[in-house]
Amino acid sequence: MRSWSKRLVPYWLLGPGLLWLLFFFVVPMYFMGELALYSGSLTSGGFEFTWAWSNFPDSLSGHTEQIFRSIFYAGTATVLCLLIGYPLAYAIAFRAGRFKTLLLFAVIAPFFTTYLIRTIAWKTILSDDSPVVSVLQTLSLTPADGRVLATSGAVIAGLTYNFLPFMILPLYANLERLDLGLIEAAKDLYSDSRTAFLKVTLPLTMPGIVAGVLLTFIPAFGDYVNAQLLGGTGQAMIGNVIQSLYLAQRDYPEAAALSFLMMALILAIVLAYIRFAGTEAFMGEEEEREA
Amino acid sequence: MVTEKDPRRITALLAVLVAAAALALGLAACGGGGGGGNGGETTVAEGGEAKGDLTISNWPGYIDPGKNGTIAEFEEKTGVKVDYIEDINSNDTFFGKLQPQLEQGQSGGRSIFVVADYMAQQMHDLGYLQEIEHDDLPTVFENILPDLKSPAFDPERRFSVPWQGGMTGIWVDTSKAPEIKSVNDLFDPKYKGKVTMLDELRETPALVMLAEGVDPAKASADQWLAAIDKIKAAADSGQIRRFTGNDYTEDLTAGNIVAAIGWSGDASLIENPNAEWRMPTEGCVRWSENMVIPVGAPNTPAAIAFMNFVYRPEVAADITGYVEYISPVEGVKEILEKEGSDLAKSEIVFPTEEFTRNCTGQNTPPELDRVNEAWQNVLTG
Repeated sequence: MRSWSKRLVPYWLLGPGLLWLLFFFVVPMYFMGELALYSGSLTSGGFEFTWAWSNFPDSLSGHTEQIFRSIFYAGTATVLCLLIGYPLAYAIAFRAGRFKTLLLFAVIAPFFTTYLIRTIAWKTILSDDSPVVSVLQTLSLTPADGRVLATSGAVIAGLTYNFLPFMILPLYANLERLDLGLIEAAKDLYSDSRTAFLKVTLPLTMPGIVAGVLLTFIPAFGDYVNAQLLGGTGQAMIGNVIQSLYLAQRDYPEAAALSFLMMALILAIVLAYIRFAGTEAFMGEEEEREA
Repeated sequence: MVTEKDPRRITALLAVLVAAAALALGLAACGGGGGGGNGGETTVAEGGEAKGDLTISNWPGYIDPGKNGTIAEFEEKTGVKVDYIEDINSNDTFFGKLQPQLEQGQSGGRSIFVVADYMAQQMHDLGYLQEIEHDDLPTVFENILPDLKSPAFDPERRFSVPWQGGMTGIWVDTSKAPEIKSVNDLFDPKYKGKVTMLDELRETPALVMLAEGVDPAKASADQWLAAIDKIKAAADSGQIRRFTGNDYTEDLTAGNIVAAIGWSGDASLIENPNAEWRMPTEGCVRWSENMVIPVGAPNTPAAIAFMNFVYRPEVAADITGYVEYISPVEGVKEILEKEGSDLAKSEIVFPTEEFTRNCTGQNTPPELDRVNEAWQNVLTG
């Protein structure tokens, strides 16, 4: 009896997580998959389940531009987040001294205000007549039409700003655990700081980089708020298209089909990325221990 | 050994749970399926004494919700507690948000929506609205303007009570582009990136057609698509900065734009002394919005009491004073004149027939799904 209940412990521990996944992931996925195979329209007799596979190719037609645009915007924002986030996380982990907690708090502080309000605030900061924009204009840093709002740059900047903490936190967690003795060892072996960073620090923080990139790129790809509020014409992302299909055109099946395809696309990109970055980078110490 | 067995057991457990959940949800879905809304039978909203709680969904800036405002006055007079939500920013998006609930015969706790004529008709056709007895609406029918009594979409006013009306035309920042008078002027390259247009299918393409001498009421699907193409070209070239809902008022306030296609009564939302609403030389789109009672609405007696309340001329005059749209209630002009308000002289609040002679209603295009898809593709271009 005792061994039985002992053996059940892992299941009990897994239980809450599994239930969560079941109700908030598996079940909605099932309904979305089912919906993607309906046909008909709301105003002419409603929808019917007809195995309408054609929804999948139909949902892509005319929207490929927005898909590539979303990959480009989210990709650029992710790279920018990494370029800003890595030095920052590094500085907080090794150079901040007694300000460490304060700086970490500063990274998280924006979360105390909702995402939407923060993005709307950027609209005010970047409006055409604002001081910030006039300074940029004087320095000739704005595009030809002299504005920042309603440009691709504004959308990418918004994505970068909003997702930066998702990059910094995993990087910090990873850098924090770095054994500084290894860097000392590298230096003892006559490596300069640059080589020590490239051969020791960077490889050891790959798990943090991979996690940060995934946590930034995936939500940024599906985001529609930044394009909606900071973008203009010709800057809609695929999230805006799905929103329009659901709410304005009420073509639920095509919207569901497009959502499914985007999930598949993201999964493919992520798998390719992990393959490229190496599974050991993703799984980190797990592999090391087994080896 | 244990590690080898575990994954399979977990998979099996997961499969059982999925099956159970799917079954439960499938059964639940069966119960709600078919018919939709009121299940094919028209329900009539119950009248009676007003008490309890009332939830109203309306557009932003459409009533004074403050301490001395209309809502507070209603609460004081009737003892009903009102939850007034300004969560309608677009007819289509609001409908899209609530449609799944309405399909199940629920209204999301709301007892009144305010929606445009075409949306009220669409909701009614889908069985999402309740009818209202005229006997329960004495104040409404005593004071409603005669030309609003019998609209084409609801000839007997069975399911809709006008809330406010308005016109779609051009907002101009007179300090920056005083010469804009027609929708055609918005396509002038001089204003590149300084113009916004509304995302409403029945308004923006309709105004573009009017400006080209096409009557939107009689236009073919191809004429609608031609107007949409013209707007698309302007969007692609960067002429049009954004497509907006009510938020064009923010761009006008911030000075981001020199002109916008916008609504006549939004002065209170635009903090820019140079902003002025203009009737396009070729005419405007006239519309009216209605209070409707959705299926499954709780406490319909309070909803009906609210409708009667806002049709008292003195209450309606307060609302007009605050929102500056076109009131559906008779006698408002006289009250505002007596109060010495400038609004009584405004052609935008009390338009004469001469002023609106070239205007058209909110027309639904032929082949709606195809035209709307083309329009939405421009918006998300």
